[in-house]
Amino acid sequence: MKGLRLFIPPFAPDQSGAAGVFCELGGLTVIVDAGGCAGNICGFDEPRWFSSRSAIFSAGLRDMDAILGRDDKLVAKIADVSRKIESNFVAIIGTPVPAVIGTDYQALKRMIGKKTGLPVMAAACDGTRLYDDGAGEAFLELFRTFAEDSQGPQKGLTGLIGAAPMDLGRIGRQELIRACTGASRQGQFPAAEEYLAYGLGGDLDEIRRAGQAEHNIVLSPSGLAAARYLKDRFGTPFTAAYPMELIPEREKILQEALRRENERILIVHQQILACSLRDEISRRRERAGAESARVTAASWFMMDPACMQEGDLQLQEEDDWTELVREGGYDLIIADPLFMRAVPDYGGRFVPLTHFAVSG
Amino acid sequence: MTGKKEAFYITAADLAAAGWQALPDELVSSRHLIYSSPATLAYNSPGAQGFGVKRAGLAIPGSVMLLVSPGCCGRNTAILSELGGYSERFFYLLQDQTDIVTGRHLKAIPDAVQAVYDCLRKKPSVIMICITCVDALLGTDMERVCRKASACVGIPVLPCYMYALTREGRRPPMVHVRQSIYSLLQPAKRSSRTVNILGHFAPLEDDCELYDILRSFGIRRINEISRLQTYEEYLEMARANFNLVLHPEALPAAEDLRKRLGIPYIELKRLYQTDKISRQYQLFAASLGQTCDDTAEREAAEEVIRSFAEDFPGAVFAVGEGCNANAFELSLTLLRAGLRVSEIFANITEEDFVYLRKIAQISPQTRICSNLEPTMIYYDSSDLPADFTIGKDAVYYHPEAIPVEWSDDVQPFGYAGVRHFFEACRRAAEKEGQAR
Repeated sequence: MKGLRLFIPPFAPDQSGAAGVFCELGGLTVIVDAGGCAGNICGFDEPRWFSSRSAIFSAGLRDMDAILGRDDKLVAKIADVSRKIESNFVAIIGTPVPAVIGTDYQALKRMIGKKTGLPVMAAACDGTRLYDDGAGEAFLELFRTFAEDSQGPQKGLTGLIGAAPMDLGRIGRQELIRACTGASRQGQFPAAEEYLAYGLGGDLDEIRRAGQAEHNIVLSPSGLAAARYLKDRFGTPFTAAYPMELIPEREKILQEALRRENERILIVHQQILACSLRDEISRRRERAGAESARVTAASWFMMDPACMQEGDLQLQEEDDWTELVREGGYDLIIADPLFMRAVPDYGGRFVPLTHFAVSG
Repeated sequence: MTGKKEAFYITAADLAAAGWQALPDELVSSRHLIYSSPATLAYNSPGAQGFGVKRAGLAIPGSVMLLVSPGCCGRNTAILSELGGYSERFFYLLQDQTDIVTGRHLKAIPDAVQAVYDCLRKKPSVIMICITCVDALLGTDMERVCRKASACVGIPVLPCYMYALTREGRRPPMVHVRQSIYSLLQPAKRSSRTVNILGHFAPLEDDCELYDILRSFGIRRINEISRLQTYEEYLEMARANFNLVLHPEALPAAEDLRKRLGIPYIELKRLYQTDKISRQYQLFAASLGQTCDDTAEREAAEEVIRSFAEDFPGAVFAVGEGCNANAFELSLTLLRAGLRVSEIFANITEEDFVYLRKIAQISPQTRICSNLEPTMIYYDSSDLPADFTIGKDAVYYHPEAIPVEWSDDVQPFGYAGVRHFFEACRRAAEKEGQAR
């Protein structure tokens, strides 16, 4: 049944994805909600929030604010905070309430910009979509607003797009850069001398320098739209890949995937991680002289056609998932353990691969 | 406000002098954006910890919940599943972009309820349907939808409103959910020896003297919904002689029961000042034509306070609202015991001014801050270090202090609550002493 979830709780929503992109960049992030959405975003989907003071605010909307469309009141509150809190931009993030009343984000941006004198970005999230949608919109807004014209690429400067806790979990900037450096040395990633880890432990200057990057690496589908924008605007080529080193328990996963009896393997995660893992499995099986396995990548999140192989799947409903497992004949499933609640009769092997956007 | 990069505060003396009618904007949450920090998690996302609407809505034994909402509203429910016993009790009907504008999802609810019912090996007693801000704005008549769904599955289906938009309205979500969970009680033969305790979703501490006091009045059966094991036991609540309301958010539920079933109610407040506790018990007893000898319990509680104040002379407390106490009343208790209160982190209400005025007399420089106020991002605990912090919010602000969250599900009350509170402070100090 459409929308019905009997076993699997909802995943991280678009508003959490957007907030995760803006979180560390020194702006005022305003969740246009009644309070609950901001609490869920921060308390559940943003691990950095517990250890650092991020300027994330709830609009604190009440029923009459929504019914009467009191945008002016929201603008006044934001202007008031912008006078008290040092910030270099305002990011407004939508939720179901503004979606229901049809909030005009372009108008809000203009009004807030006029009152605060700050650059304003908006992510028109509505809580029904998933984190990668929101993060994708936020990355695009960031580069459109702040990326400065460039004189040309700087040799060895590599941008990392799509680095946010939803995909990386609690992995920090240094760990990410170390893993990318390692992948670069092994020839899996393009050669790089310096990284710009957009939105992860960096600042707005990194966004401003995006046009100087010689190459971009897209770590999750949420970064693809921004990567294409940067390619169009600056001609920056990009590669979609995920560093193996960052996959938790990767050796255990690979060891299991290399067993000869595992001929049909299903990987469920965000698409770029799943595809990179599939490539690594193929490489290792080839190296070990094993027959190649049929590895399917499936995701509940964005599946970019350019990265898909034959047989790859986009999951929408819980029924899609149970049917896939029942009919797919998989010897091995590599996925977040939360999914397995819905398929208790699955008799093959299972290796857990957690996804922060799924199980938190 | 003492400078651009400092958190706002106002002293107890200044606030008491200004009065309720002249609250500074910083203490009125509707006049500013709501700062989101771990100290405000209970406010912004009550479902994420403690008893929010979702967990409270499952108070009826054997009930399950269908959350009908955009995915974002159900996201934190995975935390509840980790709490144990909840993972099999939550189900979701996720709304899409068309649903939230057209209300198309309403037609799917009866089928979804049927699917939930069918998938459960052990059939539920009740299915709660939890709806959110979207349906508040759509003006959904969920009572009607529930009746239709109930006709499909043959068991009660009840609405549960997680309307964050109405948090400060006349019937906020936590008031409504309490009304909802008692709404299935039907008229029954009353028992003069039965009482219901309403208000909390977890029981009182086992050694709370209130149980003994009630027994001394001849009460033989004391119902608390969290202690009931079966739906049949829950229905027995309709037989109560009277309801004892321990949380003000349960007053409308008690009023409903008075009107529908003729069960009267009495409100008792959670207090930490022993003289006030005693006074409340005396009035309670008198209202039932009884007397209450609480001398021993009162002396025991006062001895614990005295002993603590002697062992920790002049200890400085920062008290938050994220605890099982009224931050102002608890602060007054501490001050009256000879201890010090440097700060109170709380949203002050008009009723709190009764305590505030007394606090202002004893400790005029005590600072009042609002967790929700944006400049709290600049809060610096080194400005005013504390020895003890009470409540999750105060604990967040003062990492240097001895933390006493005092926010367990099991509820402190009366003299037992007082004793346990000071014992918890002492234990925390001893633990920190070992650690430091």
